[in-house]
Amino acid sequence: MKDFLTKVTDLAVQKFGAEYAEIRAQKLFKTMLTVKDGRIEAAKQGIENGVALRVLVNGAWGFASVGTFDIETLTSAISDACKMAKTASLKLKTPIKLVETKTVEDKISVKPKKNPAEISVEDKIDTALAVNNTVRGYDKRVKSCTIDYLDLTGTNYFLNNEGTYIEQDKLYVWSRILATASEANVLTFSREEIGSTAGYEVFDVETPEIVGKRAAKRAVEQLKAKPPRGGNFPAVLGPNVVGVFVHEAFGHLAEADLTLSGSVLLGKLGKKIASDVVTFYDDGTIEGAFGSFKYDDEGVPTQKTLLVKDGIVVGLMHNRETAHKFDAKPTGNARAEDFRFEPIIRMRNTFMEPKDHSFEELLEDIKFGYYLKSFRGGQANLDGTFQVGIQEAYEITNGELGDPVRNASISGNTLETLLKVDAVGKDFELWPGRCGKGQTAFIGDGGPHVRVKEVLIGGSA
Amino acid sequence: MAALNQEKTVELAEKTVDFALKKGADEAEAFVYQGLTTNISIERGQIAKSARIIDHGLGIRVILNKAVGFSYTNILKSGEAMEETVLKAIKSAKASKPDREWRGLPTKDSFPSVKDTYDNKIFELHPEDLVKAASIMLDAAEKTDKRVFPIEGGVGVSHLSKAIANSNGVQGFDRGTFVECSLATVGREGSEVTPVCFEFNAERKYDINPEWVGREAARLAVSALKAKKIETKSTNVIFTQFALQQLLYYTLINAVKADYVQRNQSALKDKIGEKVASEKVTIYDDGLFKGGLRTWRFDGEGVPQQKTLIIEKGILRNFIYDNYTARREERESTGNASRAGYLSTPNVEATNFHFLPGKQSQKELINNAKEGLLVYYLQGAHSSNPASGEFSVVATPAWVIKNGEIAYAARGVMLAGNIFDVLMNVSALANNERKIGQLVAPWILVENVKVIGK
Repeated sequence: MKDFLTKVTDLAVQKFGAEYAEIRAQKLFKTMLTVKDGRIEAAKQGIENGVALRVLVNGAWGFASVGTFDIETLTSAISDACKMAKTASLKLKTPIKLVETKTVEDKISVKPKKNPAEISVEDKIDTALAVNNTVRGYDKRVKSCTIDYLDLTGTNYFLNNEGTYIEQDKLYVWSRILATASEANVLTFSREEIGSTAGYEVFDVETPEIVGKRAAKRAVEQLKAKPPRGGNFPAVLGPNVVGVFVHEAFGHLAEADLTLSGSVLLGKLGKKIASDVVTFYDDGTIEGAFGSFKYDDEGVPTQKTLLVKDGIVVGLMHNRETAHKFDAKPTGNARAEDFRFEPIIRMRNTFMEPKDHSFEELLEDIKFGYYLKSFRGGQANLDGTFQVGIQEAYEITNGELGDPVRNASISGNTLETLLKVDAVGKDFELWPGRCGKGQTAFIGDGGPHVRVKEVLIGGSA
Repeated sequence: MAALNQEKTVELAEKTVDFALKKGADEAEAFVYQGLTTNISIERGQIAKSARIIDHGLGIRVILNKAVGFSYTNILKSGEAMEETVLKAIKSAKASKPDREWRGLPTKDSFPSVKDTYDNKIFELHPEDLVKAASIMLDAAEKTDKRVFPIEGGVGVSHLSKAIANSNGVQGFDRGTFVECSLATVGREGSEVTPVCFEFNAERKYDINPEWVGREAARLAVSALKAKKIETKSTNVIFTQFALQQLLYYTLINAVKADYVQRNQSALKDKIGEKVASEKVTIYDDGLFKGGLRTWRFDGEGVPQQKTLIIEKGILRNFIYDNYTARREERESTGNASRAGYLSTPNVEATNFHFLPGKQSQKELINNAKEGLLVYYLQGAHSSNPASGEFSVVATPAWVIKNGEIAYAARGVMLAGNIFDVLMNVSALANNERKIGQLVAPWILVENVKVIGK
């Protein structure tokens, strides 16, 4: 493979004058299932082989993606990419440069206890049906259950003209469970996700019974929930909500490409933006976590990146291009969904560091507020406006958990809200998720329970 | 450019079906997709990126004893790969369990003709032409105001073709072209950054105006500066097409899908013939809309696309169906099976969701609203409750309307409510219809929306 790929990058450099050329080849195998109310919609299997080529010519990027390893097609694709880069460079003001990195030759194999590629489709169907049976059997008021399952195995090959060559096995196991319940005129909805880079053994921990019950119980309990009051209230955020807050409200702003685009973190490096108890990491090294990998899609080793330390911004997430711009070290955050996409800056496992409070201590001083336990989607804007939808919440009255609340969401300005974090719990959970930024990335996020002095609750009442 | 021409594509689909039947499938369907996209991208104020993406593949659905198996490959030129993929689909079907509700693949029907979905001119464009268009857009934005920073955008063209064949004799081929130019900007002044502002043109024919897109994206960013917080209250809200698209996509559009209705996930179940919206609201799902971004001759399983009345003057008339959900109710598919290229089996999806326009100009609609909010985009619409239609989202950017005119930008504004209350409270529509994703709609004025501010 190495010699074959070298031929292609050589062509870019020698014939078309590229100052940088990289090639990512993939051989991927996927199994997918969708089970709707116990009916297997289709058992699906597919092969995706393809190649992504990226070149820098006269300081502009050229990218080409083809679904084949055929040498003639690759030759014409790399020439296309180089010509297009040259054309794109016509109006260039500041040529793109890449930070230098150590060249690497490495081969990464995964050694799962249970390799999804070796587990029969029948077994996977049985697991999905077991989840379905748990959900449907939980309560008569559960009206529907949809289960999606995906596993992906295969190998990524990375080579660039600087001498880096990496063969890296890929393994992902993911499943999502959606449950709805209804009673009288109330319709509720609940979502659970499972994700792992370790292997199919994730189902030994997140068993069909555990996950199914979690999804069904929430949908049913939401039936008696009331809508939240709209307005500013103190809140305790659960690890699942803290995770999505760190990811959406803060993380995206600290992706150096978005920082450069003018996110509110621009010019904030070294400055205090959050209360003293706030420390954030983006970590690609956690074994088996959904956002972990060894090398990113520019051949840079992953790492544990400190983003905020005791309330001060100390780092951003980089690719080689932004690292050069900031005169920083690359952090290994360049990721591409597959060969159809260019690598861009993405998060890995993003989380808040735990401190010293127990859950009871976090609640005890709140006269009236909300406990936001589990999220349903979130989004941030460059100006720091964030929104996180909440699928499970409870009132807090006089320091005690009260009635369930449905369809809440929180919003505010990230920087204002981070200064209002006044106590951080000692527990910790990391949750799998998927993030969209024009392409999908598998990520993890989490943290401890956290108390915020006040946050805007969007109520429907 | 495509790996296979029309004749070869259809031939591959038919050969695949024949092979699957020969290997024991009761029914079989083959879908061949080929796409070619060329993009020139703007990043942080300059044109610095180009991309060409060629993606093609073959998706095969087989049925054995009422169990469905699916497999795909992106290797098109090898008979061996096709055969392996068929065998994998059969293996998947055997591993699966019978579906008692399975009542067969679609049968043969004639396809309608569609207008303005293919433009040779798009095919003939060179990357230089795209750089030129991107450059016009960028210059227009930068010339508008110094406080505008174009963060990303670009110009792109695509050429797609699809072919289908199944064991009931369905056979079809269609191709389409797309062109899009877009620009996202922020306004920056002192320490203030605006939310992202965005404008675009997307068409099937080469009929875009990059100069207008650049100017508008810049104008929005400038007018989003100096935003103020507003009070919590119920007020009039004008939703632009962007905001409406985000809101409907996760709520109403799901609620009219037969799949959601049959599985008790839709608040519109059992409401055919009932009033579900203001009498100002008439909506079609129009798979044949002239130049529509989702207009094709046939859907993802070879059923002719059509125009379906969804809401007529506020009364719910129809749901949208694919073949499977239609046959469960012993009716005809409405041609709403959609698939993600060759990678997936068909799913019920809207085509061009057409919200019929009104007669007022944009200005008249704002004037008509008197007091309220003009909402351009929503943040967090995907966190809506898809079953009940309840939403709790951020409106950003949004502008305060005072005395029938736009007064200033608002920040930190949330909207909360239920999509069906919103539809009931539509009081007027503008005449400024445009296409955004699967929505074709004007600006709409809605009374009594809960706005949460400071």
